[in-house]
Amino acid sequence: MNGYITFLFSSSIGKKLLMAVTGLCLIGFLAMHLLGNTMAYAGATAFNDYAKKLHSLEPYFTVFNIGLLTIGLVHILIGVILFFENLRARPRKYEVFKNPGGMTFGSRTMPYTGILILIFVIMHLLKFTFVDKSVIPIYQQMAATFANPGWVLMYVVAMVIVAFHISHGFWSLFQTFGINHPRYTPLIMRLGLVVTLVIGIGFGILPVYLLIIA
Amino acid sequence: MQTLDGKIPGGPLAEKWDRHKMDMKLINPANRRQFSVIVVGTGLAGAAASASLAEMGYNVKTFCIQDSPRRAHSIAAQGGINAAKNYANDGDSIWRLFVDTVKGGDFRAREANVYRLAQVSNNIIDQCVAQGVPFAREYGGLLANRSFGGAQVSRTFYARGQTGQQLLLGAYGALSRQIAAGQVQMFSRHEMMDLVVSGDRARGIIARNLVNGELEAHAADAVILATGGYSNVFYLSTNAISCNVSAIWQAYKKGAYFANPCFTQIHPTSLPHVSGHQTKLTLMSESLRNDGRVWVPKNAEDKRPANDISENERDYFLEEKYPSFGNLVPRDVASRNAKQQCDAGKGVGPTGRAVYLDFTQAIKRDGKAVIARKYGNLFDMYRNIIDDDPYETPMMIYPAAHFTMGGLWVDYNLMSNISGLFVLGEANFSDHGANRLGASALMQGLADGYFVIPYTLAGYLGDAGKSEIGEDQAAFKDSIQFAQSRIEKLLAINGKRTVEDIHRQLGRVMEDHVGLARDEAGLKTAIQRIQEIRAEFWENVKVAGPANRYRLNLQKAGRLIDFLDLGELMAIDALNRKESCGGHLRTEAESEEGEAIRDDENFCHVSAWGYQGEEAQPALFVEPLAFENVKLTQRSYK
Amino acid sequence: MSEHETINITLKVWRQNGPEDSGRFETIPVADVDTHSSFLEMLDFLNEKLILEDKEPIEFDNDCREGICGTCGIMVNGIPHGHGKGMTVCQLHMREFDDGDTIVVEPFRARAYKVIQDLMVDRSPLEKIIQAGGYISVNTGGAPDGNAVPVAQEKSEEAMDAAACIGCGACVASCPNASAMLFVSAKVSQFALLPQGRAEANTRVLSMLQEMDACGFGNCTNHRVCEAACPKEVSITHIARFNREFLKASLFGRMPMGE
Repeated sequence: MNGYITFLFSSSIGKKLLMAVTGLCLIGFLAMHLLGNTMAYAGATAFNDYAKKLHSLEPYFTVFNIGLLTIGLVHILIGVILFFENLRARPRKYEVFKNPGGMTFGSRTMPYTGILILIFVIMHLLKFTFVDKSVIPIYQQMAATFANPGWVLMYVVAMVIVAFHISHGFWSLFQTFGINHPRYTPLIMRLGLVVTLVIGIGFGILPVYLLIIA
Repeated sequence: MQTLDGKIPGGPLAEKWDRHKMDMKLINPANRRQFSVIVVGTGLAGAAASASLAEMGYNVKTFCIQDSPRRAHSIAAQGGINAAKNYANDGDSIWRLFVDTVKGGDFRAREANVYRLAQVSNNIIDQCVAQGVPFAREYGGLLANRSFGGAQVSRTFYARGQTGQQLLLGAYGALSRQIAAGQVQMFSRHEMMDLVVSGDRARGIIARNLVNGELEAHAADAVILATGGYSNVFYLSTNAISCNVSAIWQAYKKGAYFANPCFTQIHPTSLPHVSGHQTKLTLMSESLRNDGRVWVPKNAEDKRPANDISENERDYFLEEKYPSFGNLVPRDVASRNAKQQCDAGKGVGPTGRAVYLDFTQAIKRDGKAVIARKYGNLFDMYRNIIDDDPYETPMMIYPAAHFTMGGLWVDYNLMSNISGLFVLGEANFSDHGANRLGASALMQGLADGYFVIPYTLAGYLGDAGKSEIGEDQAAFKDSIQFAQSRIEKLLAINGKRTVEDIHRQLGRVMEDHVGLARDEAGLKTAIQRIQEIRAEFWENVKVAGPANRYRLNLQKAGRLIDFLDLGELMAIDALNRKESCGGHLRTEAESEEGEAIRDDENFCHVSAWGYQGEEAQPALFVEPLAFENVKLTQRSYK
Repeated sequence: MSEHETINITLKVWRQNGPEDSGRFETIPVADVDTHSSFLEMLDFLNEKLILEDKEPIEFDNDCREGICGTCGIMVNGIPHGHGKGMTVCQLHMREFDDGDTIVVEPFRARAYKVIQDLMVDRSPLEKIIQAGGYISVNTGGAPDGNAVPVAQEKSEEAMDAAACIGCGACVASCPNASAMLFVSAKVSQFALLPQGRAEANTRVLSMLQEMDACGFGNCTNHRVCEAACPKEVSITHIARFNREFLKASLFGRMPMGE
């Protein structure tokens, strides 16, 4: 059994599958998060109540967070392994390399957008998760942050980066699951674009909204 | 003149092979691992033989010149492979495939060999399907067949225009499996430099590692050459750059007889000559002739673009001359007629050495989509090379040297006159007579490799036993010395002409005098010219070294030495055969309508030549051919 | 057909004397190139000149020169086999270039491909992958009648699409990760689609994958460059099938190395 598991997860397709599964989970999480964010448009009280409610759902809340953390770490770890393995697979670079087609900005920048997203997530967690919310509730903290156009700009840029990451990641995970068919792949590609835009714009617009109402 | 014995088993034709299989010795599975076999070449015949013998338990060492056994030139065969399955329910049978092949070969092949070929043809299809060769299929899921190159039944199996590729990859897969099993030791990028013979038995080979130039000795209990044909003697041919005669030529110089060297096939549907730097001619499957119509302008001076020439100004010369076969006449007939039209000044294209192959009618009849599905890849290839669209304007085609029916003489067991030396596929002379039918080369290669050699090799080894001559013995050391000195000699000349340059010159002589049509004066000129070129070569060639690196021009120089010798032998053979048959047309033996006239009284035999030394004329041996089952008739495709 | 023309070009070409040499680029002007000649014929033409000038010719792999044997393969201006769609470099013609062009010519590069000489590389890892399972294990003789098992035409056609792979290794050369997934998937997919190949589908996919990883190729990250660079236009749908077959085999199949 040992050899079996090791082989599955250390093989190149196995790693890819892990990347895809965790990526899908992360997109799922983003969708939930985005849904939660909509509460912000209902005003401070609604949003703060929602946040409080969410945090009170124990033990599910902790289990969920640990799960999410694990998924995130696996995604990062495998991503890092893939990055270095792929770097090693061509020790001498080409003098000239052209894209004959296929490669997109999103696909080319996956590891880099990944790192930027990681930095952003850490910063985001420090800013809004691991803070004392007993004195100033979360909505008020958020409103205060996004009254600063600098923060807004940073968040918007971060969301553009996330969008690029998803623009490749979304259809790519279908391909990895083996779902590629001339009839459905164009649909998946289109759906990918929609997901990319919804997540990018959906998250990006909240800071802008908060800036405007500030 | 000595006669040769083909060792054809007795009994009725249809029973010869089965009886012979019963009569031959067997080697039991446990003992097979005591025996080692060398296979040179990994085309259909070589790969099939290596895999089959290894599966049986022999220790096989396989050599190929390419970087991978998958790249042998069998891969370029497009059209298909024949078998007498009669899936089309149109009256085909083993007997009919046999008769067609004997007739197609213009009665210059051994009946017994051809019959065996037709017999095993069906096993080949079964074997390939089991290997996962994706043959074309009908909607119901059964195998599709088409009529091909002069056959009046649909017996050709195909995988788009890549049949050779798919069959070879099937055999390559089987070979790869044996490599993984450790039963075959594979030597890629290795060229055979010499055959080691001692005590009249083949003992092994000398091979050169092309990457570092090292010469290696390999001993075995039997040597199988499956090294393909020698069309590259014409310089421009449809063969791959590395195709050469050297392996079988070294065997010839060690005493193996070379049979019917002048029997070459000129394929009618090659792309025309377009540039002075051209290094090869690209073949297009002659399946194109199923739907394309061949024509030239009626008026020799007509230089207008094809589409400006109206229907009544076109001469569909094949349809006119051969009403029942039309554009599907055999290759030699189609090639010769095309050349006649060009010689009469009716040729088209920039060089005037091309005829049109027109799909207008087929596109009108079946629609562009159907034609594209059948020939799309060929049309794309044409468009890419010629820069012209065959859907809009007729293709231009011209005959090109393509296949050589001649090769080392072998008996019914595919063993040459040197015991322990077997020759398979295009490298031997056995099954196609003076002309090969379309889709028969793949059949022969696989028949030899999968279904003949496994039996006949056991028959031989059962009698002869192990060779017991090791690589440290004098015979091997002498051969290494020979190969070494040849390389050193080549590098030392340091003249002013490249190998390519001299090869081009040889090619022109071969094409002019030993090509589609031959006559006494031309052949004598050719012999003289080749001798001059050979002298020029040894004085004035410039070969870049060093020998311990991969150096293609050094390899080519070695091959050119042998091509020069072979060219001369081809001319000698053509001169000696004062008849026309199949691909060999002597203009002295040609009817007024330009048809080949055979001389069965004097030439119903195989001419096999034996090497007598550097300066001496080769000796002629003859194997008389008896036609007991198919009546000798003059071919007619009218 | 266009008129005969000649052009003058400059080659910036990789030269390397054997696997141990570090190698370098050399700039060589080539005058009077016939535009009707192929790219490789241009190199032949240059080599003849180099030989007569007592210089070492440029070695490059090539053989059939009609795009089917898969021997040739070099990077031309940063693209394997050059910029022609669906063709090998032996099918690339000089009319695709302009007078005065500088053309950068490099060998295929990947950790798994060692340079042998100049533009030639050793692609034997691809052989090893096939040896690990790129076949149907049937011995010669004893096969049932060819029509014993019907195969749906669409499956057979799709298998043929995959089987069209010529093994040139351009997919590896073009992949930013030097992954061999397209090559391997073509074989896996061909046999997965045919009933004849199903019998050992599980072991095949796992063994071939294991060998592929062991050879030092990179990982597929779905850039799709391979598909665009493939001279036979083998589609990445075969990679998807490979992934699917892997999933199936790893969930239900027996492991090649035992469990």
